[in-house]
Amino acid sequence: MNGRYNMVLSGVGGQGLMLLSNVIGTACAQEGLPVITGEQHGLSQRSGSISVHLRMGEGTYGPLVPPGDADVMIAMEATEALRYIEFLRDDGYIIMNTRLMHHPLETMRHVREDAATEPYFSLDEVRKRVRSVTPNVLEVDALHLAEAAGNARAENVVLLGAACGLPGFPLKKETVKDVIGGVVPEKTIDANMKAFDAGDGACCDAFG
Amino acid sequence: MLANEAIARAVVESDVKVAAFYPGSPTSEILDTVSMFSGEFKDLTMEVSANEKVAFETAVGASLAGVRSFTSMKSVGLNVASDAFFSVGYTGVRGGMVLLVADDPHAHSSQSEQDGRFYAYPAHVPMLEPSTAQEAYEMTKWGFELSEKYSTLVLVRTTTRVNHQSAIVSVGEIKRSPFHRASWKDVGAHYYTLAATARRLKGEALERLSHIREEFEQSAFNIIEAGEGEVGIITSGVSYLYVREALETMDSRPHVLKLATTHPLPSDLIGTFLKDKRRIVIVEELMPYLEREIRSIAHERRIDVEIRGKLSGDFPLVGEYNVPIVRAGIASSLDIASADSYADVMSRAESLKEGLPVRSPIFCPGCPHRGTFWAVQQALKETPYVLNNDIGCYSMFLLEPYEVTDSLLCMGASLGLSSGMQHVLNDKVVAFVGDSTFFHAAIPGLLSAVHNNHDLTLVILNNSVTAMTGQQPNPGSDFGAAPVTKLDIPSVVKGLGVPHVAEVSAFEPKDNVETFKEALSYRGVSVVISHGPCALYNDRLKRHAGTPIVPNEVSHDTCQNIYACIRGVHCPAIELDTATGKSTIRSELCNGCMVCAKMCPVSAIYSTRGDDT
Repeated sequence: MNGRYNMVLSGVGGQGLMLLSNVIGTACAQEGLPVITGEQHGLSQRSGSISVHLRMGEGTYGPLVPPGDADVMIAMEATEALRYIEFLRDDGYIIMNTRLMHHPLETMRHVREDAATEPYFSLDEVRKRVRSVTPNVLEVDALHLAEAAGNARAENVVLLGAACGLPGFPLKKETVKDVIGGVVPEKTIDANMKAFDAGDGACCDAFG
Repeated sequence: MLANEAIARAVVESDVKVAAFYPGSPTSEILDTVSMFSGEFKDLTMEVSANEKVAFETAVGASLAGVRSFTSMKSVGLNVASDAFFSVGYTGVRGGMVLLVADDPHAHSSQSEQDGRFYAYPAHVPMLEPSTAQEAYEMTKWGFELSEKYSTLVLVRTTTRVNHQSAIVSVGEIKRSPFHRASWKDVGAHYYTLAATARRLKGEALERLSHIREEFEQSAFNIIEAGEGEVGIITSGVSYLYVREALETMDSRPHVLKLATTHPLPSDLIGTFLKDKRRIVIVEELMPYLEREIRSIAHERRIDVEIRGKLSGDFPLVGEYNVPIVRAGIASSLDIASADSYADVMSRAESLKEGLPVRSPIFCPGCPHRGTFWAVQQALKETPYVLNNDIGCYSMFLLEPYEVTDSLLCMGASLGLSSGMQHVLNDKVVAFVGDSTFFHAAIPGLLSAVHNNHDLTLVILNNSVTAMTGQQPNPGSDFGAAPVTKLDIPSVVKGLGVPHVAEVSAFEPKDNVETFKEALSYRGVSVVISHGPCALYNDRLKRHAGTPIVPNEVSHDTCQNIYACIRGVHCPAIELDTATGKSTIRSELCNGCMVCAKMCPVSAIYSTRGDDT
């Protein structure tokens, strides 16, 4: 590949973001592609918003993607795509899980304001706003695809499969799948491979 | 690999025999990785100590006895260990010993933006600063060599963005030597500092440092990258990476000096770099440590150069750096009008995010603290009180939606503060500590309160692990890298002479209100220990054992929209079904702790296990 390829992964603490970044990092190592990531650990994991920055390619540079510089963003939860939107370059790709996880503070506000039947901040709203930055948004119902593949916990692998299907993505699908096969529990390998392919398929349908 | 894993790898390759730790972000993964290695290499002893001072002293003891040793801690951890640290600066060490200290610019997970570099100078300890995971690995290894060559402790100083960088690291072979017990008479030395000995040792330490400076002048880790013109940048650590990247998008090409040996500074190298420059820009996070030192080097050598950085107002003193900040700072230092190319992106993002609900950290589904706090609040309903909180997951009581914390300073401070306040206030004085913090620094405060007949209530939130940093063991845990003895907190508390001690199960909030009321109305020192395992830790154990985690459900026929399961519970697994306005539980998040079910006055929440509600 030429130049640098920047990714931002976002989601909610506990969704398996670190596994995703480990898999991509290991796949880079196997392909001899320099990579550096900036991760969040500690307090931010407790059901809070988290992000991982991932940078591939030659050169000396830091662990953080500068604003407006990410080629692709993988959002494991839809509102978390919007939360880190400043990192995406114009016309960059977003792989966005359609899942919404409502924070207790938002729920509490509804209850306090006697608005229990009013809608939460919606997927439509997220969609409208992120599409003002880029038309290249792939929405993936990752939970549904992961369940169909046989493992509800493989949402992250579905989304990774989708990212690997993007035009210009610097890693080979086979390498990434090999790495996944090596890190997930043995009895879930088959389901994880199916989950990967489901994500890849969804991406190829959209951008292929 | 993560830089922290690379550091652990360096420790193992360096044939370290004893490593002791107390976990703290951003260093905890070093502990986790060394722990893993210690399972593989039986000649490596790894243990979790009660606090950083004990961990440091354990490593020093092993070094004095002749083997290589290691410890790592977060910035404020060194405050705890500092008493011993300053003395070891005098005595020196025997087996190579490295202390890694990680600062936390931006205070991501710390109570302050402490700058640990200022520890090296008064303690006469040499300091190395890596920028990348690869350098973190290499400098840790070099640290052991330096330590043995000069019989000195070596400090490796990192920051969060170095520790939590992950990159491809080329590593060496692991060759472990067999471990043999030694005899103290073979050591043939004494290690103490007092009076005349202290004065002699201080002289020796300073002498040692002057030799180390000479070696640092030649170090290949200090790099000069030639540029153009009479402008130079001096930087270190992760800031160097930001400098490199910022310069890519700028027109000027200043010379760059990257410093890796930041105490003692290679003053000849720096002097030579300054000599033919008109202006120098210092790029460093936290306090202007390099900037002051380099100003003084320029002054001593009568070099006429303008030095810009934080003191000149070109760079911020608060918060961490990133590429945009460094770019703006360099432009300002060079008096270049720089259109902030990031301003448009940032302001567009800000307007796009209007109304986006915040997602702050909050207690996990199944967290025992939720039920404990609910009961304490009920018990205190009619009583004016002050709550002195402490360091751990329960620090989050200071955040929304709770916002109930009157003070929070540092590990164990809730006890001492409570002692002072009960001398002055009419209010009921309440302190919170977790099990790990209790062992770490709260015991002296508690026994002092007992001894002085104070009037306060301590709630110990015992979740059996050091949860916040990644569920490492503490003295109250039943596991460790090697076999351990689990300390029983109620026995410890009773042994300290606390006159009123009670125990509750964290998951029985309603039943516990009365127990808390009794303790809170007791005149004197009372302690309530609330037991309940960390949900993250316990769920992981269950998954490994194949024990199912059974979620709860809400019966929408029974639910009467009372929201007792939402108010005061604030669980990420509970949300509203906006079609009906009723509560609903996300089965993939719920761990079935039943706290919400016990809150519901109409018993609408039941376990999907089917045998209880």
